[in-house]
Amino acid sequence: MSAATNSSRQQTEAAEAFAGWLHDLGEAASPAGTGVDAESAQGWLAAERQQAAERLRAQAVPTGKSESWRYTGLRSLIDQGFIQVDEPLSALTPEDIEEVLVPGLDAHRAVLVNGRYSASLSELGTLPRGVRVGSLSQMLESDPDALQGVLTRLAGEGSHLFAALNTAAMQDGLVLLLERGALLERPIEIIHLSVGMEEPRVAQPRHLISLGDGAQAQVIERYISLGDALYCTNSVLEIALGRDARLTHARLQQESPNAFHITSLYLSQDANSHYAGVNIGLGGIWARTDLVTRFSGEHAECDLQGLYLAGDKQLIDYHMDVRHGLPNCSSRERFKGILYGKGRAVFDGLVYVARDAQKTDAAMSNRNLILSENAEVDTKPQLEIYADDVKCSHGTTVGQIEPEALFYLRSRGISASLARRMLCLGFAGEIIDALDSEALRDYVTEQVGDRLERAPLD
Amino acid sequence: MLSVKGLKANVGDKEILRGLDLEVAPGEIHAIMGPNGSGKSTFAHVLSGREGYEVTAGSAKLDGTDLFELEPEERARLGLFLAFQYPVELPGVNNMYFLKAALNAIRKSRGEDEFDAVSFMRLMKEKLKVLHLDDSLLKRPVNFGFSGGEKKRNEIFQMAMLEPKLAILDETDSGLDIDALRIVADGVNALRSPERSMIVVTHYQRLLDYIEPDYVHVLAKGQIIRSGGKELALELEEKGYGWIVDGEAA
Repeated sequence: MSAATNSSRQQTEAAEAFAGWLHDLGEAASPAGTGVDAESAQGWLAAERQQAAERLRAQAVPTGKSESWRYTGLRSLIDQGFIQVDEPLSALTPEDIEEVLVPGLDAHRAVLVNGRYSASLSELGTLPRGVRVGSLSQMLESDPDALQGVLTRLAGEGSHLFAALNTAAMQDGLVLLLERGALLERPIEIIHLSVGMEEPRVAQPRHLISLGDGAQAQVIERYISLGDALYCTNSVLEIALGRDARLTHARLQQESPNAFHITSLYLSQDANSHYAGVNIGLGGIWARTDLVTRFSGEHAECDLQGLYLAGDKQLIDYHMDVRHGLPNCSSRERFKGILYGKGRAVFDGLVYVARDAQKTDAAMSNRNLILSENAEVDTKPQLEIYADDVKCSHGTTVGQIEPEALFYLRSRGISASLARRMLCLGFAGEIIDALDSEALRDYVTEQVGDRLERAPLD
Repeated sequence: MLSVKGLKANVGDKEILRGLDLEVAPGEIHAIMGPNGSGKSTFAHVLSGREGYEVTAGSAKLDGTDLFELEPEERARLGLFLAFQYPVELPGVNNMYFLKAALNAIRKSRGEDEFDAVSFMRLMKEKLKVLHLDDSLLKRPVNFGFSGGEKKRNEIFQMAMLEPKLAILDETDSGLDIDALRIVADGVNALRSPERSMIVVTHYQRLLDYIEPDYVHVLAKGQIIRSGGKELALELEEKGYGWIVDGEAA
């Protein structure tokens, strides 16, 4: 048998296995089987779920030939046979989560355990006027009208499989609604805590963040686990910014070293709004993030930054899809990666500028520091430009630690391993500095330093 | 303090140092002069352990310890310091953090307590005062975006903080105007002590107007071909290198 036939047979098998897995999950996710109460008046949501399930069935299952999954195989994910989390986990106490908190971070804190909102672990404190924070499942019960036409609006059409799966199966998540002009001064921290179960489970949190015109907020979103459990997180965020709204959004992916992580983030920005997202990817054995941005008004600014560390056996994948359909908006993507051992990373950034999107200002860069011969990065920045009066740039680099710099530090008495760590942190510092809380910057610096200290950098 | 005997070193297949001997006693300042390509910088780099050089013969001992057995950081902890001709820019690495890491690595290797933030700051302020420097360079990334003069001042400041036994100044005067040169030289002079030795590597006599050496050596084709007092430097300034180098060849 030729290698080509063999490989195509494997792909077919993978596709079948994936379809089977999705089917099982889709079945489990029928409205009656979810945490969202099917009794209440949510016909619209049932319809959305139904449509998502149909999309799942209709959509071709990605293989190695599918462009957006080309460097990120799904086989290892499918082979785990993850099943839907069913029961909420309520045995944890606030002491249990102390070890995963960011020291000195003053924030309204919402905690989800295995994808379910935990009122007992959350400390929302006093919220300012015009700000609503709460559990998605509770809000669907108490005030479903507030969510109709909002939930699933951004992640609906054209979304990839995992977002559709989330829509079909979502149980809970966090809702953050800011009325026009509302101001959230303290940040809100969303902690996704995962705890290992007997069977490998997938949690599918669904978050909705909506800022009315002129509203401002800071969100810190963290994925973390107790121990090194095997589980999967398939999370979806829908973020809508009204005119002149401002959101800063720190995202810390610190899943367990055995975890699979999927995030699909859908962002919609109205005129003059500003979004600044900093994505820190440290954890998981297999992590895929899709960041999708659309502008619905002019003069909006979208700033996406990221730092990823991929060590042995790890795969970290960031996909971006930034679409300029209107004039005068700006977007920036700046991602940096450090790879070591047999670590792998994927950066795939698409900036699309439609014919009418004149005066678009878009810049994309991806820089990678590779510390071992066996590490690998597949980086693919793409500009598709159909307007003729724009300012667009992209650049990508893959390099190593400079021997000159290493020698300079060592000539001052600093050990080779600390010198390498200092240079890596220096490289990462530009992204860490973009975090807008000092407590968070210190924490991330420490986390990155710890990871590098344990990494075989020699 | 430093004893170099019969040192030979290659870069690739090319022999650059061809049997170099040098003895430096505590407190002495030795100037090593020579034309371009004579091996001056190679000598400085080989002593400090930079990669890319192969020592094929001879020895270099600092207080009896063979330098060639040691990694660059171990040489530094033993008290060797190289002021770079081209200090390396380290974007993202804060100057103060860097200095504290260096100082504590050296202190730890000597079995001394590491400095905490307060005692480190105190020492830093004291050294800044001695060198008549302000602290503006410290908050920036190491050498990043520094002017030529700022880079060299930063080297001298590191030397002041790390208090080496033996400092090698590699073409410290290169790229400096006369005012910057004076500031750097004043710094070096402030760090002279009966225990600290220095090797000043330079092409021009100019630097030696400000840093007065005890001995001057002329390096040519990988060997020291003449040694003398500071008057030798003046003679070189007047006549150039040709008369010695050619005389040797003849």
